[in-house]
Amino acid sequence: MVAKNMECHSHKKKTLTENSQQIALIGNPNVGKSVIFGILTGKYVTVSNYPGTTVEVAYGKIRHGDDSFHIIDTPGVNTLIPMSEDEKVTRDILLKERLSSVVQVADAKNLRRALLITLQLIEMRLPFLLVLNMDDEARSRGIIIESKRLSEILSLPVIRTVATQRIGMSALLEEIAKPCLSGFAFKYDDNLENAIKEMEDYLPEANISKRSLSVMILAGDESLREWLNPYIDHAVLKKIDSLYQRIQERYHEPAGYVINKQRLKIVDGILEGVLASSQKKAEGIKESFGRWSMHPVWGIPIILAVLFLVYEFVGVFGAQTLVNFLEKAIFGRYLNPWAVKIVDILVPVPLLKELFVGDYGIITMALTYAIAIVLPIVGTFFIAFGILEDSGYLPRLAVMVNRVFKMMGLNGKAVLPMILGLGCDTMATLTARILETKKERIIATLLLALGVPCSAQLGVVLGMLAGLSLKAVILWAGVIIGVIFIVGYLAAKIIPGDESDFVLELPPIRIPQFSNILIKTLARVEWYLKEAVPLFILGTLILFISHKLGLLAVIEKVTAPLVVDFLGLPAKAAESFIIGFLRRDYGAAGLFAMAKAGELNNTQILVSLVTITLFIPCIANLMIIIKERGLKTAVAIVGFIFPFAFLVGGILNFILRALAIEL
Amino acid sequence: MKQEKRWHRWHGGMIEGKGQRIDELLELLWIMKEDRKDDLKEFLKSSEDKDVKRLLEEMEDGGLVSVEGESIKFKSKGGKKAEMIIRRHRLAERLFADLFEFEIKQAHADACAFEHILSPEVTDSVCTFLGHPPICPDGRPIPRGECCKKFQIEIKPLVQSLTSLQPGKDGRIVFITPRYHARLDKLGSLGIVPGSIVRVHQRKPSYVLKIGETEIALDEEIAKEIYVREV
Repeated sequence: MVAKNMECHSHKKKTLTENSQQIALIGNPNVGKSVIFGILTGKYVTVSNYPGTTVEVAYGKIRHGDDSFHIIDTPGVNTLIPMSEDEKVTRDILLKERLSSVVQVADAKNLRRALLITLQLIEMRLPFLLVLNMDDEARSRGIIIESKRLSEILSLPVIRTVATQRIGMSALLEEIAKPCLSGFAFKYDDNLENAIKEMEDYLPEANISKRSLSVMILAGDESLREWLNPYIDHAVLKKIDSLYQRIQERYHEPAGYVINKQRLKIVDGILEGVLASSQKKAEGIKESFGRWSMHPVWGIPIILAVLFLVYEFVGVFGAQTLVNFLEKAIFGRYLNPWAVKIVDILVPVPLLKELFVGDYGIITMALTYAIAIVLPIVGTFFIAFGILEDSGYLPRLAVMVNRVFKMMGLNGKAVLPMILGLGCDTMATLTARILETKKERIIATLLLALGVPCSAQLGVVLGMLAGLSLKAVILWAGVIIGVIFIVGYLAAKIIPGDESDFVLELPPIRIPQFSNILIKTLARVEWYLKEAVPLFILGTLILFISHKLGLLAVIEKVTAPLVVDFLGLPAKAAESFIIGFLRRDYGAAGLFAMAKAGELNNTQILVSLVTITLFIPCIANLMIIIKERGLKTAVAIVGFIFPFAFLVGGILNFILRALAIEL
Repeated sequence: MKQEKRWHRWHGGMIEGKGQRIDELLELLWIMKEDRKDDLKEFLKSSEDKDVKRLLEEMEDGGLVSVEGESIKFKSKGGKKAEMIIRRHRLAERLFADLFEFEIKQAHADACAFEHILSPEVTDSVCTFLGHPPICPDGRPIPRGECCKKFQIEIKPLVQSLTSLQPGKDGRIVFITPRYHARLDKLGSLGIVPGSIVRVHQRKPSYVLKIGETEIALDEEIAKEIYVREV
């Protein structure tokens, strides 16, 4: 554990000048990588799936003086021996991409965990530099890192930053073009060292050192095999396997664990020299809030308060104030009348005229719905979700609901896709990837598709329920939550497969940064509009054509036994269910219009809302379910939900009428 | 009682040395004493040792037991010796049953071998390690040792599961006994490895631990598998 070559800046320094230089940003989860990435790149960012995976990686460009570099923001990792798809992507970027340098971002108050990755990067012989981010949080907890000393020990540039306040960013920009190879050397026990030497002989040249590859294989990294296959022949692969077996037999614990422990020991040795602790400041309000929010008793009023605030912001401000303003003032008074006038002048054919501005017109119906009703609700929801996400409250909510979720075959981690589903089920279905087992992903997808209403739908539903009594709201919520729970409980019993452990890191409670929330919200709204508006237009077209061909009347007649007799709704409600195939919220909006026109009584409103809430997911969600879970699972999910939604609606209708419940 | 007797018979064949055979008889008498019995005939009948009569004479000569008419009693030297044998036996049972999760029958069998070989120091270490358990897996009392008397002053088992560590107290992780190996890797990458210092923040609704400045929430089931020594 001796720091050789402390003067790295003299001879091993590389200078990056060519345009094609590529830099990777890596670090543990929740260390502020993305914030740094955002500041460094500004607007030059593209996000795409890493080839062959479902993991999103952001690519960007840095301009500094005359130089420009490509930079990759990798998924957060706790180790470079991958245990999840995210971690594998990061490891693959280091292994396969030609990187000119790496920037490791560390959370200064969690230096121990960061150094575990630092050691692995040193082992790979990649030029890199270390950023100690969140220096302010560390200091307020009484952790002071002697960064100069750390830089000497590791013989690496070490830069302190507070990215959210842009502190230290210019120093980082200065240094980013001048990474250097660390001269720090460390050893494992003799057993491992001998095995590493032997292993190195078997391995091909790569972007990272043979030593690091050897350690990875000895640590039991199965995912490397696929990469190794083309480079070495079968006999050598067998030798590698037997060497691994031989080493594993020497330890009573998994070899990867033994390696990890030895690394931690080295890390602790480094920490001893660089950590100076000062008097810890008293627990602040943020820490106290973090503690209360997980308290078995106080946590519950906090959940309710958070829900109430979100409702006030999304349900009242977004769904009522903003929607009224946009729908009545902007569209109703200005845009739609103008559109009618313009179309009148430009389009002489009456049929086409109707297509744009009629009852089922693209402008008057589709765009009005999309922009005036859905956009404000979705936009305010994504702002609220962004705040929750960045504040660190969501993982604490996961702690609170873990037990309930366990009964549904999930664990607390599923709270993220479930809450995001209240914004957009399609996006949430994509996020279900964070769940670890196939069983959990299927259950989460099913529950999202079945019962979690997206914000657009929720906005319309709450708008309709607001006209009824509180009793109706409670009944609606009770039926939906009850159905989700019962279906989840049964699914956990029926669907085969494993459930995973609940082990979740809790980031500290933080005050969210306005700019960060804004960027995230804009990206999500953009994604949402791209996905939703074409479907709105398509749905409107289908309605328009059906209307013109008289198909609507036929469908209403055919579905009458179901809609009229079983659900007790007017035949016209079938129309809403038909467009509900395209988007559930669009279907709900159709019911909203009927309720406003006085075509539904209170019982009918409740029954129709429960049915449409449980109704099959929108087309975009269905596509994503097929893509993520496979066609077979998607067909099974839809095959269950479609009759089930009507069944619940019918039963509710029967009970409400039989007991003559007044709403 | 029944179980212990059955085991006696089953295991009798393995005992060879005279010292060990006397140990077995002392153990038998201890168990009779626990059941408030001192009948000589029953004692002779219960033992599976062929030479029980000859051994009994030797025990009388050695000042371990005394026979008066129909009853058999410990002398103080024999009583102390028996107490220690029983203590070793039952502590070993607990060790196998609690820590390694052996079937009770298997724990009995192995404990029998241990009762003859454990030194007093190791016995006390095992006792402390297990947190000075008062009863064996069958519910019979484990005789107290020197270490347990100290224990009554400062109630601190050496190693305990994280679930019994007082919230707010620091513990150094001694070992982790995960049901799945994958769990070990996951915990390891979050810094939960032997040697790390953890603090339990809360137990409900989920366990929340603090390691360094990292807060981690996990299931009680996993917390149970993490053993710590209070620091």
